Amino acid sequence: MPMRYKRTELAGNIGFSTVIDEKFKTSYIVVRFITPLDSEKAAANALGISILNCSNSRYRTLAELNEKLSSLYGAGLSSFSRKRGDVQILGLSASWLNNCYAFDGEDLTAEMLEMVRECLFAPNADGSSFDADSFRITRKDLLDRIDSELNNKRGYALSRAAEIAFRGEPAENSCYGTKEAAEKVTSEEAYAAYRDILSKAQVEVFYVSAEEEPAVEKMISESFGSVERSPEPVQFRSKSPLRSEPVTESDELDVNQCKMVMTFKSDSDDQFAMKMLNMIYGATPVSKLFFNVREKMSLCYYCASRVYSEKGALMVDSGVERENIEKAKAEILHQLDEIRQGNFTDDEMQSALLSLDNALTQVGDTPASYSSWYFERFCDGNIIAPEQQFDGFANVTKARIVQAANSLSLDSIYLMLDKEAAE
Amino acid sequence: MEKEMIKSPDTGDSCIHVKHSSGLDIYICEMPGFSSVEALFGTKYGSVNTMFKMREDKEYTVVPEGIAHFLEHKLFENEDCDVFELYAKTGASGNAFTSFDKTCYLFSCSKNYQESLKILLDFVQKPYFTQATVDKEQGIIGQEIKMTNDNPDWRVFFNMLRCMYHNHPVKIDIAGTVESIAQIDADLLYKCYYTFYNLNNMVLSIAGNISADEVLRICDECLKPCDDKGLETVFPDEPDDIVMPEFIETQAVGTPIFNIGYKCRPCTGMERLKKSMAATIAASLLTDASSDMYKKLMDEGLINSNFGMEVFDGDGYFTVIFGGESSDSAKVRDAIAGEVDRMTREGISEKDFQRIKKSTYGLLVRELNNVESVANLLINSHMDGVGPYDAINVLSHLESADVVNFIKDELVREHMVMSVIEGEAE
Repeated sequence: MPMRYKRTELAGNIGFSTVIDEKFKTSYIVVRFITPLDSEKAAANALGISILNCSNSRYRTLAELNEKLSSLYGAGLSSFSRKRGDVQILGLSASWLNNCYAFDGEDLTAEMLEMVRECLFAPNADGSSFDADSFRITRKDLLDRIDSELNNKRGYALSRAAEIAFRGEPAENSCYGTKEAAEKVTSEEAYAAYRDILSKAQVEVFYVSAEEEPAVEKMISESFGSVERSPEPVQFRSKSPLRSEPVTESDELDVNQCKMVMTFKSDSDDQFAMKMLNMIYGATPVSKLFFNVREKMSLCYYCASRVYSEKGALMVDSGVERENIEKAKAEILHQLDEIRQGNFTDDEMQSALLSLDNALTQVGDTPASYSSWYFERFCDGNIIAPEQQFDGFANVTKARIVQAANSLSLDSIYLMLDKEAAE
Repeated sequence: MEKEMIKSPDTGDSCIHVKHSSGLDIYICEMPGFSSVEALFGTKYGSVNTMFKMREDKEYTVVPEGIAHFLEHKLFENEDCDVFELYAKTGASGNAFTSFDKTCYLFSCSKNYQESLKILLDFVQKPYFTQATVDKEQGIIGQEIKMTNDNPDWRVFFNMLRCMYHNHPVKIDIAGTVESIAQIDADLLYKCYYTFYNLNNMVLSIAGNISADEVLRICDECLKPCDDKGLETVFPDEPDDIVMPEFIETQAVGTPIFNIGYKCRPCTGMERLKKSMAATIAASLLTDASSDMYKKLMDEGLINSNFGMEVFDGDGYFTVIFGGESSDSAKVRDAIAGEVDRMTREGISEKDFQRIKKSTYGLLVRELNNVESVANLLINSHMDGVGPYDAINVLSHLESADVVNFIKDELVREHMVMSVIEGEAE
């Protein structure tokens, strides 16, 4: 039987989507809270939600909660905080084996729905603050996560580039807040943030499973029924203004390979053309950046582009030797000029389209990718199936791609430089 | 051509294994309802295979470190174009990787898998390199080596292996060093290619939205029969003891990270799978968030939720690794050693054993829920000399005494090492 997708709106403006696809051996639920990304609140929000999978009013310690999860055949339960443009998306997700695989006959679905309910709506708290041990563990985790961002140099370079490109806008902030802010958050403040999120955030719930389970909707409906809801609007898309002159900022670190991230901004609303442009420019191993900057000229080990349509931005990130930075920059700009002048072939367009088609067709192969797909479309304000989006790409003409390329202007450059060579 | 159906008695999943007349082992798993296809064409040739000979050779050939990975890069180029350009015509996403004991070429797609499979089978069987293209690749791989040197997780892992292994090439970086790859030339690459890329030493695995008959028809069309030349790989003798108990390096990191490992005795085939399962349960008990040790380390702020374990084993090496972030890794090491001592003396709780067993079973079943992981499972299990569904079966027969015996015999304090990457002092 083909998959069935349905979205309904429950009382309190709760979006509830189900994807039923009988091929899956696991069931998956994710509850997403959507709230404006605010430098003052980001850390408290992250703490207020990430503490929820540390303990609850029934499993009162991390140890007890984990013991229960492992006895449920290693069921997964995780919390998250991430950034999408000017918006902070927080939540809790759980995944477990279908009941038919439980060799001792446990009702894993019922157990896990109860677990999710207790974590979300009956946290280990006294009505004004979270349990002290759980809070201490969660805050240390958050602080370590903020500190360890530097351990992944490529990811760190992209975060720094966003900080520079979106300075003065919510999107300049991390979805975890700053270390200083996270250090100051008290358990009471985290609890207040949690209560605030429950009542004010937009909520989207996704359940992906092999079969319908009416108990999920009932649990979500009843649980949110006890919360006074007044969701605040969020802006999923807010184009970042272009600087009058491009700026370059750099850090010097103890690294072997330098990184360069170039941010371009656009005022175009043609998202289909921008994504096709991205594929041709730098998102595949046959793209202009990969083929020319890496393969042909050996200027970078990696050189790729990515679109942030929610901010009207496109970033090109590269791993480059110090002496090649200027040459790489010139070539990256040159390749964009090539597209601006229409110097790309029908084959390049066709291969971009084929790549997108393959990626879109694969959306239904994991519960998490189904959920991400429909959530992203919800944020776009246009809930369509993957094959419908493909039609949008297929209709993009060469002229629209040229127009999208011409709408891009260089805004800022971030450089991570090797320290020793700098001295 | 010999064809057999392999079925899991535990989950009901099944796949087909074919010993093709060309010499190639082929694993096919049709997965109804899934849209994607994942295929891997791999050779049992990884970074550890630096010493080998064929049946007719008198002497062993010793090759520079990093050559298997170098060869992987070079095979991606045809005489007239890049392999990526060929995949661009089908829409498939192509890639390749070299690990310690294998090199694999792969693609994932959801449409035109037949054409992509032809591309995969064709280019891997058709090497083409010249001295000029080899010279150019040295620059690109040199950059890759630099980039991985900036990856603290990679560094902390290899530093740990270097603490453990005196001679076994598992301690060398998969990509080699800038100096070692400078010794590689086109002739040496061809020699390695014709030694290891013999279909008798290779496996094709393909899973997802496919038809087994169609896959076999394409294989019949594209595979060129190979004679089994009797490849032998050897490793230098490796003593049981370690090289040094600890190594600390300074790098640009925000949080200090550690790998703490036990060097265990290696074994092969089913024996290795059983040992690996016992090791997995033992290490899971040690990192279990409900254990007393975990609670104590958390309470003291010595670990965070990144604390985890891995059983890392292969041809001639077997290790159990604990990794994470800590401001005082030595205290974490001592706590692990203390807990191992306690388990050796007192044994393990049957209740905890059964719980961790269930949790491990859950992870193995989940692997069968994903096209990419099924294709990887098929190729990995063959290369390890076991069947694709043996792990679940071995687990179901595992008893707590097996785990206690593993802890007693293999988690020996003298064979424990610690590798740490610390940030620069401010």
